[in-house]
Amino acid sequence: MFDRVDVFVREVRGLQTEAELGDALAAITRDLGYRYFALTHHVDVRRSSSGIRIHNYPDGWAEWFDEQSLSADDPVHRASNLTSVGFAWSALPQMIALTADDRQILERARNHGIADGFTVPAHVPGEAHGSCSFAGAADDPLKDGAAPLLQLVGAFAFEAARRMRRGRFAPAPVRLTDRQRECVMWAARGKSDWEIARILGISHQTVIEHLRHARERYGVARRTLLAVHALFDGTIGFLDVLRQ
Amino acid sequence: MIIVEKGCANPIADRSLRSMFEDRKRVFVDLLGWDVPVLDGRFEVDQFDDEHASYVIIAGRDGGHLGSARLLPTTRPHILGSLFPELCAGACPADPDVFEITRFCLSRQQDAAARRQVRNRLVSALAWYALERGIRRYTGVAEIGWLQQILAFGWDCRPLGLPRRFDSRVLGAIEIRIADDTPALLAANGIWDIAGVPAVRIAQAA
Repeated sequence: MFDRVDVFVREVRGLQTEAELGDALAAITRDLGYRYFALTHHVDVRRSSSGIRIHNYPDGWAEWFDEQSLSADDPVHRASNLTSVGFAWSALPQMIALTADDRQILERARNHGIADGFTVPAHVPGEAHGSCSFAGAADDPLKDGAAPLLQLVGAFAFEAARRMRRGRFAPAPVRLTDRQRECVMWAARGKSDWEIARILGISHQTVIEHLRHARERYGVARRTLLAVHALFDGTIGFLDVLRQ
Repeated sequence: MIIVEKGCANPIADRSLRSMFEDRKRVFVDLLGWDVPVLDGRFEVDQFDDEHASYVIIAGRDGGHLGSARLLPTTRPHILGSLFPELCAGACPADPDVFEITRFCLSRQQDAAARRQVRNRLVSALAWYALERGIRRYTGVAEIGWLQQILAFGWDCRPLGLPRRFDSRVLGAIEIRIADDTPALLAANGIWDIAGVPAVRIAQAA
């Protein structure tokens, strides 16, 4: 079956539209033993028009899902933030603590015929997390070794969709000065303005100014959001913040 | 600056190579926990670091290592062919114009923003070097999360076989085709960043 995936990879390389990619994904999804696929960025699509979402889920499901603004809370999406390796939905209870709402979402999906899914996470630094899911299998394709095939299909399909969306979700990068970045890094580590001033050997007022300018560049009002934005786009790194 | 070293006849005497091997230990052993040999408790050096290896290094003004990758000829023993042949569906590529990229390393001695710039320069330098040297394809073994990032650079990648689990890691093998359009593909993703970067080639007895 690797040959089938190889053909898919060559095919999507030349595709230009998301509709064409959707057709190619539908075909290989069927060939690998599933009915449905959903290639998506984990963002609320009602608030963010730039997020990728291509799927062939049954009518009614996607609408309900959007009405509930579920994307960021979806247990499958939460679990896929933890790993890059594809996982079966049956493994969810071992990956995250499922809430009553989560169980309801999974039950409702099952009622729509979206069950026994397999999700391939896709993470590109500085961009929204995403994934490619496959669901609604008649038998159990994983038993027949579908997991590595799905892993490749998910990875290459996500990159193809990303190429098609490029430019639409790439706002001009925010650039901070070295001093601003240092202040943000220490703020992310929980230091107060006064403490940052002592650490960097600059005045308290200067730290306040650096952080105010940094917030302005990101267009946010709070230092918590400033830290989150700077981590998200890689201006500061998780390990820099977590380092003891 | 970009430095290309052929072989490592005297790695410890050369500042760029020495700091590269130190950074490799910090990244692959200390950070990623790979089970690979360490020399003198400081340098990550393995059996493939010999006279046949080439190194593409992004260095600071003082020659200190900022980022690097090791290139191994696929006509000789290399990681994919020697250690993970089962990652290829067919025969592993072995050709004079195919090189394997290994030990892609970004120094931990810089912050995240600087690392990203060095990453872009290193990817660009690898494409530039391939075009210069007539290398038509790179191969590589990557953990699956890193593989997605390699695809996201925008160059032309293909899988060589199915990914497999090795202990806690899932690894896959890919090939990257390098052609005249590669710089434009990288540029479309904001990766191509090589203009104005001086290139220094230190030719040693290979």
